[in-house]
Amino acid sequence: MGMQFSAVGNITKVELDGRLDSVNVDRMETLFAANLVPAGKSAIVDLSQVVFLASLGIRMLISTARALSRSGAKLALFGAIAPVMDVIETTALNEIVPVVRTESEAIALVST
Amino acid sequence: MNHQRTMFVPFAPRAEVAPIDLRLHCLELVSGPVSRLRHIIGQLDMNIGRTPPSDIIIADTEISRVHCSVAQRDGQIIVTDLNSTNGTFIDEVKLAQPTKLPVGAVLRIGRQEFRHEWRTQSEIAQTDEFDRELERANNYVRALLPEPRLGGPIRADWFLQPCARLGGDAFGYGDVTENHFSVYLIDVAGHGAGAAMHSVAVMNLLRQRALPDTDMTDPAQVLATLNDLFQMERHAELYFTMWYGVYDRRSRRLEYASGGHHPAYMVSADRNDLVAMYARNSLIGAVPGKTYRAESAVLPPGASIYLFSDGVFEIVTRDGAQWGLNDFLPLLRNQPAPDPLMLNPQPPGMTRSRQLFEQVSKIARPGGFDDDFSLVVLTFD
Repeated sequence: MGMQFSAVGNITKVELDGRLDSVNVDRMETLFAANLVPAGKSAIVDLSQVVFLASLGIRMLISTARALSRSGAKLALFGAIAPVMDVIETTALNEIVPVVRTESEAIALVST
Repeated sequence: MNHQRTMFVPFAPRAEVAPIDLRLHCLELVSGPVSRLRHIIGQLDMNIGRTPPSDIIIADTEISRVHCSVAQRDGQIIVTDLNSTNGTFIDEVKLAQPTKLPVGAVLRIGRQEFRHEWRTQSEIAQTDEFDRELERANNYVRALLPEPRLGGPIRADWFLQPCARLGGDAFGYGDVTENHFSVYLIDVAGHGAGAAMHSVAVMNLLRQRALPDTDMTDPAQVLATLNDLFQMERHAELYFTMWYGVYDRRSRRLEYASGGHHPAYMVSADRNDLVAMYARNSLIGAVPGKTYRAESAVLPPGASIYLFSDGVFEIVTRDGAQWGLNDFLPLLRNQPAPDPLMLNPQPPGMTRSRQLFEQVSKIARPGGFDDDFSLVVLTFD
């Protein structure tokens, strides 16, 4: 499981790569939150290279979105492939964390 | 002149030496029940197989009678395949010659996966104690689960296989009123004691029908109340998904709601119809004050409802492919029709839920269940 952080203006961009399953989330959850939450900046997460999303991965995304919202920042997800989007739809994750198709849509969403 | 002198030399006080805590090479079963199955590799070579004279005997039809040998050479563990039918694998690489098994690597034979651990005796004692505690917790969760209903107009059976550690699945069913019968399944995100405690807390409220100001025959109300009671920030950042349904015996109508949970499925008695029973709502615990909505359907006589956790279908197959819900559904349609008159009796314990577990197990790679496998089957005459 790969995880890359970069800055897009005042927004943090995270690129995830691989399986967001329970084993990988256990390994990366702390690092993921530590790079996003203390900064208190809005963030976008690129899911285009994520091939599997398990419930612990969903928990990581929700917890981070909630933590960011407490400091007035936003989190948006984009680029999910079809099997991952199925999970997002079924769990209604997109009612809690906004999910869009492209990076520019995600940037626009967290910039407002 | 020789003077013989006797000298009294006091013994130096013996230093307090801690007993040596030897490290032992162990093969530990990766998947399976909560209790850790461990084989300690001694100085003597050991053979693993399905029958004697193997030293470690494993009842798995995919394992040859004498399948492979495990030996300690200069502190290293060497595995040799003994011309087995299905091969011996280390980290999914088939062995062609005697091969070193590094610490942390996984040895697969048949459907069994063992991790090579190098543990001190005190670590073994600690993990054994931890496993016993998990086993007790697992037994407690199981004690709260309902008895199968083998007879009567509503029959039910279930199968639960926790993942290697304790998981967060729970389910239940039973009469809510004289005319209403409820069934639910909870899947807490996460594993271990925390997730299990969370599912037990929810299950106990439902068993006691103790939700405040809530009509337990109204699935939307039940989910909304649970959502307000179990907000993540007050419960260690845990959320859960849930499917809750209530069957009205008078009208044969099943009303149901999902809180972030995939559909349950209705299969008609003739197995021709497979209908998703899904009312999309947010998962439970993430956003306070959510309104939930329910759907309903009339169940034809003899229809079965299959309710399950995502651990049933989120598996990796033997080919390394990721399975999903749509891959699992054909198994439901292909299940044998309900057999209330027991015209085709199955072996004891081979319920429909267990049959499905066996079928999925054959498709999953060994150790392929990363999550709890929970499946409830109900049939409504």
